Amino acid sequence: MLACLCTVLWHLPAVPALNRTGDPGPGPSIQKTYDLTRYLEHQLRSLAGTYLNYLGPPFNEPDFNPPRLGAETLPRATVDLEVWRSLNDRLRLTQNYEAYSHLLCYLRGLNRQAATAELRRSLAHFCTSLQGLLGSIAGVMAALGYPLPQPLPGTEPTWTPGPAHSDFLQKMDDFWLLKELQTWLWRSAKDFNRLKKKMQPPAAAVTLHLEAHGF
Amino acid sequence: MMDISLCLKRPSRMGDSKRMRMTSNFQWLLLTVLLLYLMNQVNSQKRRTPRDLKCITNNLQVWDCSWRAPSGAGHGAAYEVCFENGSHSCYRLEKNVKIPALLPGDHEITINPLHDFGSFISKFTLNEKNVSFIPDVPEILDLSADFSTSTLHLKWNDKGSVFPHHSDVIWEIKVLRKKNMEIVKLVTHNTTLNGRDTIHHWSWTSDMPLECATHYVGIRCYIDDPQFSGRKEWSDWSPLKNISWSPDSQTKVFPQDRVLLVGSDITVCCVTQEEVLSAQIGSTYCPLIHLDGKNVAIKIRNISASESSGTNVVFSVEDNMFGTVIFAGYPPDIPQKLNCETYDLKEIICTWNPGRPTFLVGPRNTSYTLFESFSGKYVRFKRVELPTNESYQLFFQMLPNQEIYNFTLNARNPLGQSESTLLVNITEKVHPHIPTSIKVKDISSTAVTLSWHLPGSFAKIKLLCQIEINKTNSVHELRNVTMKGIENSSYLAAVDKLNPYTIYTFRIRCCTDPFWKWSKWSNEKQYLTTEAIPSKGPDTWREWSSDGKNLIIYWKPLPINEANGKILSYNVSCSSDEETQSLSEIPDPQHKAEIQLDKSDYIISVVAKNSVGSSPPSKIASMEIPNDDLKIEQAVGMGNGILLTWNYDPNVTCDYVIKWCNSSRSEPCLMDWKKVPSNSTETVIESDQFRPGVRYNFFVYGCRNQGYQLLRSIIGYVEELAPVVAPNFTVEDTSADSILVKWEEIPVEELRGFLRGYLFYFEKGERDTSKMRVLESGRSDIKVKNITDISQKTLRIADLQGKTSYHLVLRAYTDGGMGPEKSMFVVTKENSVALIIAILIPVAVAVIVGVVTSILCYRKREWETALLKHWK
Repeated sequence: MLACLCTVLWHLPAVPALNRTGDPGPGPSIQKTYDLTRYLEHQLRSLAGTYLNYLGPPFNEPDFNPPRLGAETLPRATVDLEVWRSLNDRLRLTQNYEAYSHLLCYLRGLNRQAATAELRRSLAHFCTSLQGLLGSIAGVMAALGYPLPQPLPGTEPTWTPGPAHSDFLQKMDDFWLLKELQTWLWRSAKDFNRLKKKMQPPAAAVTLHLEAHGF
Repeated sequence: MMDISLCLKRPSRMGDSKRMRMTSNFQWLLLTVLLLYLMNQVNSQKRRTPRDLKCITNNLQVWDCSWRAPSGAGHGAAYEVCFENGSHSCYRLEKNVKIPALLPGDHEITINPLHDFGSFISKFTLNEKNVSFIPDVPEILDLSADFSTSTLHLKWNDKGSVFPHHSDVIWEIKVLRKKNMEIVKLVTHNTTLNGRDTIHHWSWTSDMPLECATHYVGIRCYIDDPQFSGRKEWSDWSPLKNISWSPDSQTKVFPQDRVLLVGSDITVCCVTQEEVLSAQIGSTYCPLIHLDGKNVAIKIRNISASESSGTNVVFSVEDNMFGTVIFAGYPPDIPQKLNCETYDLKEIICTWNPGRPTFLVGPRNTSYTLFESFSGKYVRFKRVELPTNESYQLFFQMLPNQEIYNFTLNARNPLGQSESTLLVNITEKVHPHIPTSIKVKDISSTAVTLSWHLPGSFAKIKLLCQIEINKTNSVHELRNVTMKGIENSSYLAAVDKLNPYTIYTFRIRCCTDPFWKWSKWSNEKQYLTTEAIPSKGPDTWREWSSDGKNLIIYWKPLPINEANGKILSYNVSCSSDEETQSLSEIPDPQHKAEIQLDKSDYIISVVAKNSVGSSPPSKIASMEIPNDDLKIEQAVGMGNGILLTWNYDPNVTCDYVIKWCNSSRSEPCLMDWKKVPSNSTETVIESDQFRPGVRYNFFVYGCRNQGYQLLRSIIGYVEELAPVVAPNFTVEDTSADSILVKWEEIPVEELRGFLRGYLFYFEKGERDTSKMRVLESGRSDIKVKNITDISQKTLRIADLQGKTSYHLVLRAYTDGGMGPEKSMFVVTKENSVALIIAILIPVAVAVIVGVVTSILCYRKREWETALLKHWK
């Protein structure tokens, strides 16, 4: 079912009906994106549990909250509430799109270094879903007439298995990658919910509390 | 130690004491004073003489001698030192003298203080035994560290060129740790001086990473020269050299990503400027060991195997945490069950079992190299995933014209390596692929050609293939085919001795010669062989119709192994000397034909036809030879069949035929027949149509030249059952003391066996009261009569009571069991004579009693009257 949903959402930008006048508008695609985001949140809970167990204690302990070391290149999901409120729809969607592009790339790097086949399968499955979400966001942006962000030359995220990067720091990065993913999905769900209501006026006010959630 | 003698430089003053010998007491006093004086003089002379000569050597070639200067000798006093060493040598010098090593034995040395008129000359006897050998302080040339392995490397020069002959040297090395110089290692290291300067190395691996604390190293030596007779002493310790890590501002944990053996101990430290609050390995907290500054360490003992991502060690400071990952595992086990074979003589596949898990995965996983020593070629294997149970394998391309391969499989991981070897002649280790593309082609109705594809380059060897032939309802057959191997992989084999028009299933497997392993069985290939003419005529029987005018001819369908194809039709003909009647093309499902015949003496011929041709005719005579001496017999079977026997009859020339039918059917009755050879005297008749409790008629015919004669007529059951009904019975007559009962026969269909008798029960009882009582023969009040004469149809029950109700029950039985019961209540008639007697007897008794009483009363009255008369 998820695969079908992803496929549909991936091809959303190519659906000409979305660009026609008199169409139902971006509402359905926003709803689908929202649904997919919530599904990914659910899927990530399972994946994070498996992956943190793979990293071993103390990474899988509930109160483990390490500092964010060496994970500066990861897009941060946390943002000041006022700043967030000041963003327009296009900026929000752009930030979402860029964040998931980066996260997807890092996630694929995570997949390459996982030592167990089962874990690699789980990660590959999640990557496919996340790819679907990216397509879905692109579809929403296209439906609203926003251009897709073009990556600046040389700023594309790449995953490099650095020999100077110790295993422990790599684990810390993995931990933070999963944590940022979780926060981004939570934030995206708020964004899409807000956008969905806005497209069906009168839109209800959305209160956003951005905070870091432990796994 | 030194033998010291003093010589006076000036004349003695002993002449002064002669004037003091006056009196003995005075003499004693004077002597005492004199003695004290002399001792004072002597001590004074000693103090004013060079003394305590000590000689040491640090190279055995030069002795460095020193002495204590006379008291009062100023700084820079000069001495003349003279000694005998083959020649008389004197030196002018200050305080100490370096002299060449003297030969063994005593040598006199005189030391004369120069320019000191108050001093005396000293003489010493010097021997090598009094010389101390204290080597020079060793000099550390270099102290380096390999931080990645926590190893210190020490380098020093033994300065062996200084020493004249070979000597054993003991080096003592000490390693100190931290600023408070805790000794962590004190070790001796033995070498030999060989007359040349030699650089020595010593390495030591620390249990604590070298980054954790400063390590200091010092060295001293002890030279055991066998030819030196003096005292040998340790040199002084060399100045300490140290190794320390230059920390940058960042906190770091050491060692990083270390791989170590399960069960070993390891010290992990955190080099930091911050206060470390806690340390944990996995989820277990460990006590902190404080090092210099704020550095801390933890000691992990007997570490257990790591999970796939390693064991985490984490140090926590107030607002941060630092860590490392340790990978505890095992070195690779010796590869087990190494086996190399080939499927196709093009590629060798080697498989093995890795043995004990190493617990190291990913980049630390075991890598395997398969090396072939004759060709020098090798292939590598690297598995990234966590190994599962499947066996490991490597492919090695075969080399032209090489049959013998000497493989060495090397397993290596960060903790060590191991290897297995295998010498193999690969032509003897061929495990062919599964044969594919099985095809079948006709040769005849009993032979086919099988072709298949077996990939491989087998041109130089022989193949043995096994063909499994399966036929429905038959045991599978295996046939071996030996063939020469070919390059193009296509093989052919002929399979004969098959049955026509039969579905066969073929499958093939192959091996090579000499045998190593069979290939897997190929997929099955089903094939129907072509038809052939039927091999036999049908099994035929004939019956005359009930009116005797028509002959009904029966035949059985041919079994598939005799039909050799699909039977399309039958031809029937009846021939006598005069005429022949034929019925042609009777279609197959029909197995019966009726022909009107004028007389009884015909030969009937039946032929079966399929698409290829006609069967040989099967013939039977129509005539029946009468038999006047025929009795009907009984027989009981064994459940699924019935055994029939007869006496050997030499007149029977062709065969015996046993036919049977259900006895309840009308004539002509034929269920089936069976032919048995003429030399048989018994047969078991079995049929799926037989049912228990059903009566069948069996007729045994003997075949003679003219026809068939009925020899025996038998009625029988394959299995007897109990009757399903009770005999109907009625009361024919009733008297005061008997009842006459009559019953009817039970029909054959309901009897279900041969009737063996009846059981008759009777008892007193009313209809209502007896209804519920069960008749049991064991009860004493029930009378039972077993009637075994099955022709008897009546029974009189006598000695009954009149006017009494009796309960009567009748049931039949066979060898199959008791049938149901039928019951009846009958009341016997009243007995009138007995009634009359019963009335008359009491009346008569009453009359007699009255008469007797009257007589007695009369007699008594007369007796009383006579007595009264007498008294009066």
